[in-house]
This record gives sequence, C-alpha cells and structure tokens, in this order.
Amino acid sequence: MSALARSLCLVAGLLSGTLPTLAASEPAGYSAAGLYNLANSYARAGKPGMAVLNYERARLLAPNDPDVEANLQFVRSSAHLPPETPNTFDRVAGTASPFLAAWIGIAGLIIVGACVLSGRSSARHRCLRHAGILVGLCMMGLTVFSGIALWPKLHAGVVIVAATPVRVSPVPMGDALFTLAEGETVKLAAEHEGFTLIRSRSGRSGWVSKANVAPIAP
Amino acid sequence: MSSRQSIVRWFLATTLMSLLGAAAALADDPLVYATIEPAQIYLGESAHLTITNLGDGTNPITLPVVSGLKFEIVSRTREIQIINGTTLPSSSTVMRVTPQIAGIFTIPAVTPKSQPLVLQVNAALSGAYVPRADNRRAAPLPPPILSGGSLPKGVHLTEDGSAYVRLIIPKREMYIGESVPVEIEVGMRSGFVSSLNGLPKLTEDNFTLNNLSHQPERSEKLINGEPFVLFTWRSILSVVKPGTFSLSAEAPLTVKIRTRSKRDALLDDRFGDPFFQNLFGTTVPKDIDVTSPPQELKVLQLPAEGRPDDFHGAIGTFSIVSDISPAKADVGDPMTLRLRITGSGSFDRVDSTMLDHVDQWKTYPPKSSFNTSDPIGFGGMKTFEQPVIASKPGVHTLPALTFSYFDPSTRRYETARSVPLNVTISPSLADSTLTAPQVAANAAASGSLKSPVGLRPDHVDDQARASSLTPLYLQPKFLAIPSFLVLAFAAGWVGVRRRRDEEGRSIKREMAQMEAAARAGNETLFFDSARNSLQRLFAARWHLVPEDVTTAEINARMGADNDVHRLFALADESKYSGRTPDAADFVQWLRIVRDQLTGEKSA
Repeated sequence: MSALARSLCLVAGLLSGTLPTLAASEPAGYSAAGLYNLANSYARAGKPGMAVLNYERARLLAPNDPDVEANLQFVRSSAHLPPETPNTFDRVAGTASPFLAAWIGIAGLIIVGACVLSGRSSARHRCLRHAGILVGLCMMGLTVFSGIALWPKLHAGVVIVAATPVRVSPVPMGDALFTLAEGETVKLAAEHEGFTLIRSRSGRSGWVSKANVAPIAP
Repeated sequence: MSSRQSIVRWFLATTLMSLLGAAAALADDPLVYATIEPAQIYLGESAHLTITNLGDGTNPITLPVVSGLKFEIVSRTREIQIINGTTLPSSSTVMRVTPQIAGIFTIPAVTPKSQPLVLQVNAALSGAYVPRADNRRAAPLPPPILSGGSLPKGVHLTEDGSAYVRLIIPKREMYIGESVPVEIEVGMRSGFVSSLNGLPKLTEDNFTLNNLSHQPERSEKLINGEPFVLFTWRSILSVVKPGTFSLSAEAPLTVKIRTRSKRDALLDDRFGDPFFQNLFGTTVPKDIDVTSPPQELKVLQLPAEGRPDDFHGAIGTFSIVSDISPAKADVGDPMTLRLRITGSGSFDRVDSTMLDHVDQWKTYPPKSSFNTSDPIGFGGMKTFEQPVIASKPGVHTLPALTFSYFDPSTRRYETARSVPLNVTISPSLADSTLTAPQVAANAAASGSLKSPVGLRPDHVDDQARASSLTPLYLQPKFLAIPSFLVLAFAAGWVGVRRRRDEEGRSIKREMAQMEAAARAGNETLFFDSARNSLQRLFAARWHLVPEDVTTAEINARMGADNDVHRLFALADESKYSGRTPDAADFVQWLRIVRDQLTGEKSA
C-alpha cells in the first residue's frame, strides 16, 4: 500500500474511529516516519509514555528531524516532564544519522588504509597521502562520536505507565521507594526476574517491573 | 503472762471489729448479688445462677424469665453470722439454668442497682473451642466478689485451705499435633498467700503449653465463704506422644503457715482477717508447689486411612477463600493472589504449599500474616499474599485451591476448596507491536482521541526500513565489514613490506657483487652488474621488461646528461671496447648505483 493511501486511511480513521487494521500490510522493520507517526498517534491517544518512547526511537533513525524534536518536546512539556537540551557533543554527533555515520566510518577506514599502503609502496605524493589520512581519520572520528553520543540512549528506557512504583528489591512486595512519572527517561542498569534496575535523571535507583518501562532500543 | 497478753489482744481486736461491723451495718441497705457459673456452656449443659442476699432475706426472689432458658430452683440456704456481737444474716438461692437453644442470653438484673448477667451457650458439644474475644465485648464482667458457698468443681484446696490450682481442659481425648485451648486457674486465699513465684506449668513432659499468657486475668471470688484472688492463664495444649496420661498443673507459691494451735486457729478463722493474724505474729512464710487434681487424657494418633496427599498436619476446623486483585491487568503486571484461611486449630501447620500448584504463572514467594481472634492464637484468620504475573494475554483461570486438614470433631480428614478465579490479561504496552493506525483506532474506540495543539503532522512513510534500531556500526553483521577491511589492509601492508625486504636483499646482493668486481678490477663485470640492476629497477618503474631498458630508452626518458645514461654508456664501452676505468671511478659509480637502488635520488 502506498504511503499516500496509508496516510489517507490514518486520517480517515482518526476522524471516524472506524480505521481499518493495516497491521497485515505493514512492512516489517522500523522507519523514522513510521515511528514518528506511531508516536503522534500515542500522543493523540493520551499516552505520553508510549509517545515519548516512539519519538526517541524515531530520533535514533533521524536525529536531525525537526518535527520529531518539536513533537517530543511538546509531549514532554504537556506531561510536565523536564525538557532535554542536547549539548554540543550531541549536536556534532547528530550531524549524521547512525546509518550514514556507519558508512562514513567505513569510507574513512578505506581512505586511511589506502593512503597508508600507498605510502609504504611509494614515496611519491606524500602531501596528498597525508591529507587523505587526515580526512579518513575525521570520518572515522565522526562515527566514534556518534557511537559515544548514542550509547547512553541505547541503554535507556522510557516509563510507559503512570506513577510507576520503584522498589528497593526486584519483588512486587513492600512499599515503593518513589514513583516515576509516565514518559520519564531512565537509565537501564540491570535486569532480574522480570524487573529492571533503573537510575532516574535525579540519580535515584531502584527496581521497576519490566512491564512498566520499555527500552528505547529494543 | 501469755494469757494476759492474749486477753489484751482479743480485747483490742474485738473493739476494732465492733466498730467496723457497726459501720458496715449502718452503711447501706441489704445487698443482693447474683452470679452465674460458668458463664459459657455448651448446649446440653447447665449453669448455676446463685443469688445472694446479704440482708434479712425477707425480699422474695422471683425467677427470671428469659426466652430460651429454663430456670429451676435447686437449693436455698440461710445462715446467720455473729461477728463481734453483730448479727449478719445472709441467704442464697441456687438455680439451675438449662438452655433450650444456643446463643448469647442476657439475664435481667435481680435488683435495679445490679448489672444483668450474660450466658453464652455454644452449639458444639464436641469440645471445639469458641474464641472468647467476643465475650469481652458482648458480656460485662460480673461483680468481683460473688457468692459460692460450695467448692467449685475441680477445686482441691491445699491442706490449710490457702490456695488451689485448677486445670481446665475442654476434652478428654485429643490427637497428636492437635492444639487444645486450656485454662489454668490459681486461687489464692486473700492474706494467706504472700507471693506467686513463677508461671504455672504441667507435670507431664509429653505435653507442652504454647502461647501461655504472661499477664493472667485477675478476679476475686468467695470459696467456702473465704475471699480468694484468682489468676487465670490461657494457653494451647499440645502433645507429641500417644497414650493415656494423667495430667495436672502446678504453681509455685509462698504461703503463710499458721503457728498457733488449732483451737486458736479456729478463732482466727472466726475473725477471718489475716491482718490481725499477721499483726499478732501467728504465721510464717513457706514455699510450696500447689498441684491441680490429675485429669486423665487420652492421646490418639491421626488415622492413616483417608489421609489426603496434601495434608501437612493441620488439625482443627478451617475454611478457605481466595481472591485476586486486580482482576484485569496487562501482561507483566504483578497481581496479588490472596488466600484466607479462617477457623480454629493448629494454624502453625497451615502453610502455603497449596499455592505451589499455580502453574503457568510467574510467582514469587508468598507473604503470610495471622490475625488471631483470641489471645492465645487458637482461632483467627491466616492470610497468604502471593504476587503472580501472567506471561500471556487472554482470559486466564486460576484453578481452585485446596487445603486438607483433620477435623477432630468429625474424626476424619476434610478438604476445603476455594472457587476458581477468572483474570483478564491485556497485551503489554511494552511490546510496542501496535502500528500507528491501530493505536489511533483504539484511541478512537475508547473515546480518548484528542488533537493537541502544537503537535506537528504525520509524515509520509516511504522510507527504507531498518531491521533494528541499534545503530549499524554496533550490529555484529555490519562490524564484519570494517574488520575485513582492516585485515585486508594489514595483509597488504605485510605484502608491501615483504616485497620491500626482498628488494633490499636483492640490492644488497648486487651491491656486494659490484663491490667484489671493483676490488678485483673487473670492469666488465662491474658495469654489467650495475646496468642489470638499474635495468630491473627502471623496468619495474616504467612497466617495461628489463631488456627494453636500453641506453636509447634512458636517453629518451631521462636525457643524456645524467649519471645513469653515462653508466649505461660506460657499460657498453667496457663490454665492447675493453677500456678500464680508474679505481676511483668504481667508488663513484658504486655510490651512484646505490642511490638509484635505494631511491635516495629519484629518477
């Protein structure tokens, strides 16, 4: 089914509530637009946790998409969650999508290798070789930056249930240490018997049920 | 001397008692007390209602009228006491109270100033214990000192009549492992027992008292016309060995032994006030152990016939109820399965093994709590709370839970069952398998569709799809590409290095050959070797065969005015003309050839 037809069905379903199920015809895998649309749907359905989760996932594929960023900030502010401001390192690393950064890194590796090999076999064009090695290293550095910037996000999760209790041990008994708001992003540290050890943005740790938190990178 | 002191003592005592007796006689109107013993009976038994009139007894006693109770006058007694010349008449009427039905009955007060009495009649005749906690709420306590001219059943006073111990066991047969509530009553005559030196205990080692109350109930009672202070302990009796036993209880006391003659002691009793006896030094303290009359108790083993597999030793009467909350949850959400076991008996043998059969659910160790309905923990409710987690969506049924126990009243094993529980499990949001249209459809169906202002519109989804959200450079399949490239470059680097090493060794060999020719003065061999080396060098550089690198080719590519062209010319001259250069020329040509071969002077 074409993208236009899917969009028309989505709009029609939103307006009438009699949306046909397209799951059978949906292609497998992830796309930034698909995740973004899914997040929009959750946001409209009043589920900020799932909306934030899918915006974050869309941002993994399209880090520079202004719509993803704008809607994510909008949902966060609507859910009374603190805004996230990316630092300079994240901005540099986000100049290319992870997909593009991977191939840029490969290209840089090829350039560096070729220049080094040519230098071993011939002494000519030394300046050109040095310039090639520098460019190749920069391309590989971009990939490394991208990986460093994305690493915390790959080990983070989003709280998808309102007032999720955080417990001192991985058992569903006893009083909760504190509760997490729906849509809050937490660091996932460990797993045990259906529970996940999390660390909140404020630095507090505890165990939550795996059903209450979803990893950004499944 | 002794006779005179005794006369003086009696005179003082008589004077004081006369004053006290006169004051008591003038203080109030004749008093009427009523008491019922025991206050709790089983259907088929009788209680005794005693009405004591501490007056002239002229007021007629009317039979109470209570629906469900039958009153019969058993005896009337009348006595007159003369104390210090004051006549104190009293009369007692004893009635037998026979219940027709079970229940809690209120017997109206015999006088407007007294309190009504409460009689509890239990339906069970098998000796099943009825928790008395409710009695404290339902029945007000009787007046502290009530009549009872006769000795109560099971009371055997010590020889001097100062104390007694009574062991009250509601049944004469019990089973190993069964818990039987018992009462131990220690009566101490006022003024004759100076101290209670420890908790009461059983004389039979095969029996144990569990949960013996540390603070006994205290009351006062007239026994044989003497005031007694009663301490009552409640406990649970259990036994570990079958057989027939003679069981009694004992309590350590310190009593006051009279040192006067029996005739004087009778006079003491006539006055009846221990204050004066102590005052006049007629008693000495002595530690004794007071023992209750032995009671025969038969201990039986549990029958092996009909014993369920899931029987774990619980004896008593129980019922179970289970529930789960919430009844609707998502996959992965914890729910709490509660199992409540209510009844009376050995709750310490009630365990959570019945929850082990909750299959197809992820379970955690249950937590138990026990709310007792009596001070000794015989009756009450034990609650097990087990967290359970469903792993699959759908409507699930938690099977009925069973609990087997032995009922001593029916003398057979019973199995209590709870009803099955239905639970609806929804798919977890964390699965995130829904698509945007599905979510929109669900939202529309639930009526929660909103259009938040500020949300940017959807995108056209025509992009290529990634199989994973993990970045490409962190996926193992992709990492094979840079790994292969690194290996390839490393192999190339090694190959180049090996070729350069080979060239270096070849240059060294040729240089050694030229040096040997120079030392031997063999001009032809020297220049021929130098030319061959340079031919191979330039052939590789210009992609020619070595034979095509001739003097003309050198002239064409490098010009005639250079050392290589001159060396090729000298080689031809040496080969074809036989001219021999100077020894110094060999050194110069050696340096030129070495520079060319090592690349220090680029052609």
